[in-house]
Amino acid sequence: MLNVSNIAGKIQRTSNRVMQKIANSVPNMTVSNKTLLKGIEWAGKHISSPQNRLILGVSALMSQPFIDIYNKRVDEDTRRASASRTIAKILAGTTSGFLVRYYTIKAVEKMTQIPAKCKKSWETFFTPSPLHVKISAESIGQYKNTIGTLLALGVMLMTNFLFDAPVTKNLTNKFIAYDKKHYRKNNQDKNHNIELNINTNHLRPTMQNFMNNVGKSAKGGANG
Amino acid sequence: MANLSIFERIKIQLFNTYGREYGKMLIHTGIIGWAMSSVAQVFAIAFNEKIPKEQKMFMIPQEIADAAINIVSFYAVTRTLSTLANKAVKCGKLLPGNVSKYFNTTLIKRIPNKIKNLGKANFDVEKYVRQMPPKLKKNYHNFKNGIDVLATLTGSIISCNILTPVFRNIYASHKQQKNIAKYNNTLQAPDKPQNKYSKYYPLGKNIYSFTNRGDLKI
Repeated sequence: MLNVSNIAGKIQRTSNRVMQKIANSVPNMTVSNKTLLKGIEWAGKHISSPQNRLILGVSALMSQPFIDIYNKRVDEDTRRASASRTIAKILAGTTSGFLVRYYTIKAVEKMTQIPAKCKKSWETFFTPSPLHVKISAESIGQYKNTIGTLLALGVMLMTNFLFDAPVTKNLTNKFIAYDKKHYRKNNQDKNHNIELNINTNHLRPTMQNFMNNVGKSAKGGANG
Repeated sequence: MANLSIFERIKIQLFNTYGREYGKMLIHTGIIGWAMSSVAQVFAIAFNEKIPKEQKMFMIPQEIADAAINIVSFYAVTRTLSTLANKAVKCGKLLPGNVSKYFNTTLIKRIPNKIKNLGKANFDVEKYVRQMPPKLKKNYHNFKNGIDVLATLTGSIISCNILTPVFRNIYASHKQQKNIAKYNNTLQAPDKPQNKYSKYYPLGKNIYSFTNRGDLKI
């Protein structure tokens, strides 16, 4: 009889074998270029949660509005409004996300000191009692990350509603109004000119015929 | 423990629970963050009087799909890329030049049978890191950390900024068309008065449509 753990084990073994085959087929790579090595090390040291949010926000600004603008599945008005809202959401989200993460981590850093090394009581506000847990430099580092992330999440749950949502709404309305004023006006002018050209092209022969006919009938009338 | 305040108990609990499994917590808090952000944005769209109803029918599913697809693509792309990159460094497939040189010149003389597997999936560089000189050890850890950050960042950019917007737009436009069709049906429905005799006269509906044609009023 088939057992769930048997199936899971088989899947696990198969995926391990596949991973092993892929790993074995790719040649070994060595990074010797000093600039590239320095860049990789710099990224590991300096890109933490706030910087990560900032990079994601900037790259989002360079990709998401264009994906919305070229979404041919919806009409142009929806497309342009959606792109405006995306830009507004990225600007609001990146600003609040970066600031909240940056200041939360700073605050937690200052308020989670090892008790023996600090003088003020607020410096150990988030530090667990050393009587109940074994505190080391490494364990306190992970704990700081945990507290920082949880605190940032708590703050962001509030800023989502109190900052992100209203700012996104206001910016969206401003961008849509700007878009209507500039882009659509230019577009309408172009369309209007095309229509006028078409109309005059159609009218010209008709008017000529009409004038000819008027001329003929006038001549005929005079003769008759 | 009995005399400890609630805050102190929470701190100890967090220290013992998440102190070693920070990665897991990062994913859980990330999911909560995405979901709550999506809820806030849905409210912002719903209560924005300047956005027409047809556009809201696109934007609300777009926002909901944004959170859902972000979570799925994070697991499928970001985590996979990060795992693959970490595995590549850990098994020696991708190493800084001086560390690779140390393995291929110094260590291979001492333990040739083991080092010849460098770069194979079952090889573990970490086992030999302790034997390395301090400078190389530091180089390896910095390199590993950097590759992990860069792989996660690349994965996040691909999943959050390329895959998610493409798929959320496909879903939202499909949903918008469905909703508009539904909306139009509900608008048209009250115009057609119920024909109470249709049950008894199978042709009732046809007669009704015939008598209501503007050019054939009887």
